[in-house]
Amino acid sequence: MNQAAKAEILTTDGIPLKVSLRRAERINKFRAFALVLPLTLFIIITFVIPIIAMLTRSVDDKQINTVFPKTFELYKQWDRKELPTEEMYATMFGEIVNADKRAIGKASTRMNYSKSGWKSLIKKSKRKFKKIKEGPYKEQMIAVDKRWGEIGFWKALGEMADPITFGYFLNAVDLKYDSNKEIIRQPENRRIYNYTWYKTVKISVLVTLFCLILGYPIAYLLATLPLKYSNLLMIFVLLPFWTSLLVRTVSWIIILMKKGVFNSILVWAGIIADENRMQLIYNETGTLIAMTQILLPFMVLPLYAVMKTISPTYMRAALNLGAHPMHAFYRIYMPQTVPGISAGGLLVFVLAIGYFITPELVGGADGQLIGHWIAYHLKSTLNWGLCAALGTILLVVMLALYWVYNKVVGIENIKLG
Amino acid sequence: MFKLIKIAFLGAIGMVFAATAYADFTFVSWGGAYTMSQQKGYIDTWGPVKDGSTKVSVENYNGGLGEVKAQVESGNVTWDVVDILPVDAINGCDEGLLEELDFSSWEKAPNGDSFLDSIPENGTGVSGTISPCAAPQIWWTYVVIFDPKAFPGKKPKRMKDFFDVEKFPGKRGVHTWPQAILEMALVADGVKPNKVNKILQSTGGTDRAFAKLEELKGHVVHWSAGAQPLELVSSGEVVMSIVYNGRAGAAILSEGASFDYIWEGQVLDGDWVAIPKGSKNKAEAIEFLKHATTCASQAEQAKYITYGPMRSCGNDIIKKNEPWFHNGIAVLPHMPTTKKRMKKSVVTDPVWWADHNAELKEQWAAWMAGNK
Repeated sequence: MNQAAKAEILTTDGIPLKVSLRRAERINKFRAFALVLPLTLFIIITFVIPIIAMLTRSVDDKQINTVFPKTFELYKQWDRKELPTEEMYATMFGEIVNADKRAIGKASTRMNYSKSGWKSLIKKSKRKFKKIKEGPYKEQMIAVDKRWGEIGFWKALGEMADPITFGYFLNAVDLKYDSNKEIIRQPENRRIYNYTWYKTVKISVLVTLFCLILGYPIAYLLATLPLKYSNLLMIFVLLPFWTSLLVRTVSWIIILMKKGVFNSILVWAGIIADENRMQLIYNETGTLIAMTQILLPFMVLPLYAVMKTISPTYMRAALNLGAHPMHAFYRIYMPQTVPGISAGGLLVFVLAIGYFITPELVGGADGQLIGHWIAYHLKSTLNWGLCAALGTILLVVMLALYWVYNKVVGIENIKLG
Repeated sequence: MFKLIKIAFLGAIGMVFAATAYADFTFVSWGGAYTMSQQKGYIDTWGPVKDGSTKVSVENYNGGLGEVKAQVESGNVTWDVVDILPVDAINGCDEGLLEELDFSSWEKAPNGDSFLDSIPENGTGVSGTISPCAAPQIWWTYVVIFDPKAFPGKKPKRMKDFFDVEKFPGKRGVHTWPQAILEMALVADGVKPNKVNKILQSTGGTDRAFAKLEELKGHVVHWSAGAQPLELVSSGEVVMSIVYNGRAGAAILSEGASFDYIWEGQVLDGDWVAIPKGSKNKAEAIEFLKHATTCASQAEQAKYITYGPMRSCGNDIIKKNEPWFHNGIAVLPHMPTTKKRMKKSVVTDPVWWADHNAELKEQWAAWMAGNK
């Protein structure tokens, strides 16, 4: 026997212990992995892949470049001051005639984002160009539709000339590319996204704030009252949770409308005159009220869970040592509830910023938050690139918030109980 | 006790599976009274449904091509027939999301007109279908209604009265998207209804409409769901509102509500039925559509809702058999498609709207933001 073999410890069946152990460990590791595998797959399929798909879609402009590759080549050499040359017309003609019907349909939808009118122009051309047998093409194309003779349509190609584009992100903040791929602002009457972002963030912040102001005392009561009262109170908090979102939203309409319950009570009590009923719904006020009520449980529950763990002896000690109740509350009690405030605040804010149906129904013109525009482009214009850009910005805003929060409060300080 | 719950639970799951296995045909529409009219008008009367060999499951959706696109692109098409707007029919057909239909063997009109010829002028300048993928359904309109009690003296009669907040003070209900309101603004500005599309589509046309809309600024309450405007008018929140005419008709005919219409300047739009590309029951879906678009089915549907049949032979049946509504009331006074009313109407141009939808929606949103 040589030295090495002697040093090895063998198990009873003659296999070195090291190998045997490694094998056992491997089986264990495999088993552990198999246990988390379904969850891992679930997260990858429902979370990671869609987010990656969204990120790529927000900059992807390949489709159009596979339909009109040669035209875009020529576009780059064109001076963009006069109508394009016959060569460019002929190339465009050839690419429209030879393109696959489905591909060109998609392409025309895409082209329509950069200038309204492309969609019907391409469609009509695809139909009518079949009759044109030979060149020169320029005049014949203009004869089919006079829009071919408008330089504006040709210039609009500039936005789409590259397979990777930041155009969707620009559109999401009221900017766009001009024909030289320089960034300019959208025409004034189309600027709507920055305003919508501002409104969405403002409403989310206000709703979070209102939820905190209303939720904090409720959570405090829940945590400190004797069990038989606090249970009842808990049911009041949870009851809205168990009620359909739509029912609650519509109830607010009935309560807040001009001839609704609230206004009528005020009139009956003589506080306001019959002809001065307040406009409380179909505007920002209505949105704030309804959203606050609907999201309140998401603030109360984490707060309650945290407050429940705070021992009353701290407060008693503080009072015993002569602190004013307010001071004791502020210095001793509140700091201990910060993890709950953070958890509730983040939860409410995240839900509010993507809220859709409630503002849509009670908000009137003010109810179109960013979620509305995502849904609109998803369904009506099929501009999924812009949807993806809006969604990505939303994601980035959330991540930025998370980062700031981590810097200021520390993420280990978030607690759901 | 636990055993009982378990049995009930398993039973429920079994029933869900049985139901899905049994429902072998999916029809998707907008829900509410409209879907009910489709159910009674031509789903329940369809042969395979009557003899029990096929069960049609009816689903609701919110319009748009989002779901269809997702289904077609993922290769898992679960819808067989979908009720869509013209814009979506055109776009969906262009993008290959819908099946093309061959109408040559579909039911002729009693007067011998071919299937497509029995659909008169539909706003695209030609009769027939707007897209080879779309089979005809109904005309519905955006129309202004008001509560006659809100105007004890002179009552509003014309579209310009809707825009005149001096003569007819009070708030107006308007939807949150730009379709129809721009056409109405032009009518109010003095454009003849049959010239509206031409003016709107010419240079400066939309600017003219928005300029007219300035007169309404500050006097508008916006609604986003079809039931809201009726509630707005009957609760007095607004004095007049743009509504879907079918909703108003149902409220008047079935619930005895008292609304008056301003027919002038109503904006007609169509609803079409189509088959998503790759439907697993394509042959059956085509047979279903053939049945759904017969003259008799078209008329039958008008028993339950005041939307106008697209095929003129459907209208003829109604006229001959008044009172036609299912509860024995005459339906023609509430139909948007009588000859007299059609002359005062604007027919929306889906192709132009498909081009300008996004741009005008953004402009309209900017307008709404300033409507304080």
